[in-house]
Amino acid sequence: MKMKTFRRVVSGVIINLFFIACCFLALLPILYALSVSLDAKGSLLSSDFSFIPKEFTLAHYIKVFTEEPVLLWFRNTMLLTAATVALAMATAVPAAYVFSRKRFAGRSVVLRILLLLYSFPSILSMFAIYKLMSAFGLVNTHIGLIIIYAGTMSVFALLNMKGYFDAIPVEIEEAGRIDGCSDLNIVTKIVLPLARPTLNVTGVMIVNFVWNEYIFSINFLTGSDRMTLASGLYSLQATETSGSWPMFAAASLVVSFPILVIFFLSQKHMISGLTSGGVKG
Amino acid sequence: MKKSNRTIAGKRTAVAYLVSAPSLVLIFLIVVFPILYTGYISLTNMNTYHWFDFRIIGLRNYERALLVFDSGFLSALLMTVIWTAVNMALQLIIAFLIANLLNVRHLPLRNVYKTILMFPWAMPGYVSILLWKTGMFNSEFGLLTQWMKELSGLTVRWLQNDLSAFICCTVVNLWLALPFMIMIMDGGLKSIDRSFYESATIDGAGSIRQAVFITLPCLKPIIGPSVMITLFTTFKQFDIIYLMTQQVGSQTGAHIHTIITYAYENAFITNNYGYSSAISIMIFVLLIVFAQTTKRRGKEADA
Repeated sequence: MKMKTFRRVVSGVIINLFFIACCFLALLPILYALSVSLDAKGSLLSSDFSFIPKEFTLAHYIKVFTEEPVLLWFRNTMLLTAATVALAMATAVPAAYVFSRKRFAGRSVVLRILLLLYSFPSILSMFAIYKLMSAFGLVNTHIGLIIIYAGTMSVFALLNMKGYFDAIPVEIEEAGRIDGCSDLNIVTKIVLPLARPTLNVTGVMIVNFVWNEYIFSINFLTGSDRMTLASGLYSLQATETSGSWPMFAAASLVVSFPILVIFFLSQKHMISGLTSGGVKG
Repeated sequence: MKKSNRTIAGKRTAVAYLVSAPSLVLIFLIVVFPILYTGYISLTNMNTYHWFDFRIIGLRNYERALLVFDSGFLSALLMTVIWTAVNMALQLIIAFLIANLLNVRHLPLRNVYKTILMFPWAMPGYVSILLWKTGMFNSEFGLLTQWMKELSGLTVRWLQNDLSAFICCTVVNLWLALPFMIMIMDGGLKSIDRSFYESATIDGAGSIRQAVFITLPCLKPIIGPSVMITLFTTFKQFDIIYLMTQQVGSQTGAHIHTIITYAYENAFITNNYGYSSAISIMIFVLLIVFAQTTKRRGKEADA
């Protein structure tokens, strides 16, 4: 009996040590960036290595906000994100509802095409999109990027929300109709409140996409006053020959902070919202 | 009567398309048209020298990609397959182990560990990749470089040769992708009926036999869709390899290409627009075939 408790204690200790190591690995780049960004002593390690800064300073953070137009990038990103979410949701919600509830000619063909398009990575047609945008004079404008982002996310938004609408029983709507609700009233008073979870998850996914998108914005925008946080951070990168690593570390953490907050607030809904939606693979 | 039915159906179709028109137009403009246009460019010789005076050259770009062995496309394709296989295998095994350990009894700090392990998933992807590149692998201030220097006195250039760059990219990909997989497996494990294990224990099955004959078969259908999603994102991976090794002006010397970085390089670095478009179209076809076969097999498994 004693042998058994002893074994249990040992395996408990080993498992906990294992998880502490895992957590350390999961946080390693973030902790290192944090410690470098708060240390006045410069970026190189001394031989007595520790993650606690020797000389605590906020100078790198102050520099990020005063020497680089981070606040402007932040404003640009907020603007792009809000406009993209608004455009994509305003167009995709009615479309998703119609494709879920109504039966009409060409419906299944369009749905099948949308599923095929879903697997297409937009980066592959970036050159064609560039040509299209330059024909409309929208290269290097925020409006151009908003249209691109909204269009790219529309396929996902439409299919994901359609999948969720499918799961809402039609009987609820029929009951409303018997009680004299108009079509519009049924959507705004019954369907949308029921669909709140999928609206939230789809919205968060679009926010995440715009916040993390850098390849279109570095290729389509020039001039640091138009940049987004992602393309701005890209331009701040430190290499062996240029840039400042402590400042880049500080900027990285500043940029990540809002997304971390959104993530941990929405985490509970994310997994179910992603896997129960209509899009798989 | 028949006629009015038809007009009602016609009216319903018209209303449906009217309501969904904004979304469908947006999708046509940003997704469908560019694909069609890419298909058109893939039949031309458009590049920096033939920017305006390009002409149709038929399928020659496709021929070059598929038949000229050192064109780079086939080796990039092979690389992508290896990349996907290695990453998926490691990811599934490690996530399975960690998820199982998260579910042992008497683990009071379970939720603390889980929350911390979510951080790599929560961070914006490109920020994490850049932090790994600069903070871990950079030859001057990279943490791993400095540790190696302490240990052996050598300065290792992690991203300079192909094999070590591949390993570094794999490490970063695992770091980024494991949290999602662990969460999915953790959720799957929780849904397995405890009584299966109890009766297996009574029948004298050890923990390895239980894992193989109870956990794995029960887990498979639950994690299936998420594994498919991850398989596709791994296959389509661009950010990690591009940001780690190929950024304009700071190439590290490694030449590892997945098909997507290969298409990107040909369009935006060497400006072979026609050739790059042919690559893009072939990748699209490949992804469609891939998606259709996995879907069909999924359906057969369900039935």
